[in-house]
Amino acid sequence: MKVYDVVPGLEFDPERDLEQSPAWFLDATHSVPPWTPMFGWFWINFCRHGMQWGAEKLSLPTVKGWDWRFLNGGGYLTLLLVKSEEEKQRREVEFKKAILPFIQDYDGLWNGFVKEILGRYENLKKLETDKATNIELLDNFEETIDTCRRMWEIHMYMMYGTYTAYILFENMCRSLVGIDDTSPVFHHVVSGFDNKVFQVDKRLWQFGQRAIQEGLDDVFKQKEAPDIREALLETPKGQAFMKDFTDFLHEDGWRMQRMSEINLPTWVEDPTPALGMVKQFILKGGSFNLDDERAKLVTKREEAEKEILSKIPAEQRGWFEQLMRLAQKSGIFSEEHDHYLDLYTHAMMRRSALGLGKRFKRLGALDHEEDIFFLIPDEVRRAGINPDQFNMRYIIDRRKEAWHEWMKKPNPPAILKDGFDMDQAMGVLIQSNDPIALKVVVGSMPQVRPELKADLYGTCGSPGVAEGIARVIMTEDELHLVQEGDILVAVSTSPSWTPVFSLIKGVVVDRGASLSHAAIVGREYGIPVVMNVFEGTAKIKSGQRIKVDANLGTVYILDK
Amino acid sequence: MRQKWIYWYDELGSEHNDLVGKKCANLGEMTRLGLRVPPGFAISVDGYEKFMEESGAGAQIRRYIRESGDLAGNVGKQVEASRAIRSIIESKDMPKAMEQELQEHYLRLCGLVKMERVPVAVRSSGAISMPGQMETYLNVQGARELTRKVIRVWSSAFTTRAIAFRLEKKMEMEKAPIGVAVLKMVNAKCAGVCLTVMPTTGDTSKIIIEGNWGLGESVVSGEITPDQFIVDKECGEYECTISEKQRMVCYSPTGTATGQVPKDLRCKPCLDDLELKELVRISKSVEEHFQVPQDMEWVIDHDLNFPENVFWVQTRPAKYAKVKRDDSEYLAELMTRIFKM
Repeated sequence: MKVYDVVPGLEFDPERDLEQSPAWFLDATHSVPPWTPMFGWFWINFCRHGMQWGAEKLSLPTVKGWDWRFLNGGGYLTLLLVKSEEEKQRREVEFKKAILPFIQDYDGLWNGFVKEILGRYENLKKLETDKATNIELLDNFEETIDTCRRMWEIHMYMMYGTYTAYILFENMCRSLVGIDDTSPVFHHVVSGFDNKVFQVDKRLWQFGQRAIQEGLDDVFKQKEAPDIREALLETPKGQAFMKDFTDFLHEDGWRMQRMSEINLPTWVEDPTPALGMVKQFILKGGSFNLDDERAKLVTKREEAEKEILSKIPAEQRGWFEQLMRLAQKSGIFSEEHDHYLDLYTHAMMRRSALGLGKRFKRLGALDHEEDIFFLIPDEVRRAGINPDQFNMRYIIDRRKEAWHEWMKKPNPPAILKDGFDMDQAMGVLIQSNDPIALKVVVGSMPQVRPELKADLYGTCGSPGVAEGIARVIMTEDELHLVQEGDILVAVSTSPSWTPVFSLIKGVVVDRGASLSHAAIVGREYGIPVVMNVFEGTAKIKSGQRIKVDANLGTVYILDK
Repeated sequence: MRQKWIYWYDELGSEHNDLVGKKCANLGEMTRLGLRVPPGFAISVDGYEKFMEESGAGAQIRRYIRESGDLAGNVGKQVEASRAIRSIIESKDMPKAMEQELQEHYLRLCGLVKMERVPVAVRSSGAISMPGQMETYLNVQGARELTRKVIRVWSSAFTTRAIAFRLEKKMEMEKAPIGVAVLKMVNAKCAGVCLTVMPTTGDTSKIIIEGNWGLGESVVSGEITPDQFIVDKECGEYECTISEKQRMVCYSPTGTATGQVPKDLRCKPCLDDLELKELVRISKSVEEHFQVPQDMEWVIDHDLNFPENVFWVQTRPAKYAKVKRDDSEYLAELMTRIFKM
């Protein structure tokens, strides 16, 4: 039973929407499990806005961004294709000018946006939500809405521009050097770079080192993650440790375990996940393996660069090398944007909404502060200035009920018009030449090679071969089950998964392309990643011994 | 006005731009960084003002300006003013006390390098960027000649363009924020430039060094195809292109002259491995100090032994294209094509 639209104007309507486009795809990376209503409202409205804004600012010749709909907590997307040849040509002319800033001063462009968005966050954080007036809380929420909207503009403009350069580099490697993005040489060229996400991981490792030096490591070794904080606070040394750790979290802890949701605490609110990572680093021992790994990767990268450049005619080398440098930034961007854009903005949304939730609870509009996530902004505004005058429970109750229903029944991976099949639908995606669809969502289709007798066929996200125990992980909550030496099997991965990469020997993901999180991080840790196997989480069971050969794109289940 | 108007380079640094002009301040800063610069001294802006005051040239110029009426917008009058002012300055002798002080410094320089009548280069060193500061006299020998050339450098601040500049900026006419650099001439075996960035691609992982036999002028002016060394900053490996170097610039009794490179040297690299490594080492450290890519000029001396023979005469922030314009447009064109597949 539908109470009120969760995303007014953008609810999925089978009749009209299948008329507009014959194929709608579930965004399984971000909207499984289903979103809370408030988060869904933000995502559908502004991710959609950002993609169309970015595609328009760049005047992408073939695609005008994506359209999104909301259905039972899931985000469904379809592409907005440029329809006439004439319009394509017009857009091409504009595109040539619009893409120049990416080529001429990429770092200046990206750093400028980072500065802008961090400035907005600082402004939002100035408000002490417990002490603020109702009006200030509502204003802060409105500003947060605007920040989210701006974040998605930056996000998609940057992503379209960045990935376009990356795709060109892949194409040029194919035509001038004879290698593609499944080749190890190619992967070596784009790895061996630091980024903000790795830097945060390293800070956590450093806290682990400090705990060892100060004799606090036993606390980490003996206590489970949720109890570490309490145990530390029992000693003066532990208190000093927690003080510095809290300072660190206020700087870099504006993120939740699940990237695209707001109903879990941020690290700032609850340091458990962050302390859990410190614990993992301590248990594992040794140096920060990214540093060792990076030194090797840098050497390999330089060799690979030389190898590739030596195959480029001297007079072409100037622009080719420029393009290569640009493509190398794609991996850095892919990781950093999660930190600066998605995670941080979502943390701001949670902070602002919870501020209102607490106030609503105190003044009687609802029962639990987190119930605010079952309202959408228009409803929040209804009670915003005078929460004592309104009772929002009837909306919350019905939405909650619906939300529990969504959880029980998974959303279908695609909604297709009668007579339209999945192959045709994928064909449309590929025809769009949409850089994001190609590099993050669809990826290259695996080649099935019966002579290899593999159980699963995928593509290479990061080169190498490994054998180990499979660990099938469906959500972030299960990450603590990963053991050293395991091979991680998942639908896909996101930044909060990064620390387990230091434990595992390899990765198998159902979906992904060469700029997906698993591929980028796998390359930096020097472990094999096989992607786009589609049925990995369905066919592989935790505890089975498996062998992955990323160079060939194969997965073998050794004990069946 | 300060009494002191001549400085040794180790007394100076980049903060003395207004005192001695950019070139001298830069040579001071280089000395401070431990770069070997040709021995010499700097004449400050005070030296210029002292000369103008004590020789009477300043008063005479003021009178001339008063009498010649409005110069603004009248190019003919400006040309005439330039000629008149320059001849006023060049007709003056340096006041006795000043001449003596300059001579003492020159003799100390001779003592320092153990040469009689050491040949020096006399170069203008402007404190602000204005036209007519490019005057350079090479191979100047003896105190008397040095005095004359210093006065010439001062007078070079009054070219027609420099006068127009003063009018435009409403600067007083007899003022000239100009210093003079006096440097021992290096007996150049070879010389050239060194950039810590690839000027065409903006690639900062490489150093490019170009050089030719003889003085650096042939490389800087771009008249010949020099030897080229492209060095990787990280690993030090390099690629070199050795050109056939037919002509070089050498000293002549009146300055410099272009001559033929001896046949046996034409196809030989002008730098050996050791010298190249030294240039790379120093340029990297200078870039590190300033935190921006540097454009440097170097000279290797004939008479001295390595590494005392490696001299630097200039370092400044390099001008380079972030990306060459046509390369970026070409890339944009290629990116457009991927939407057509």
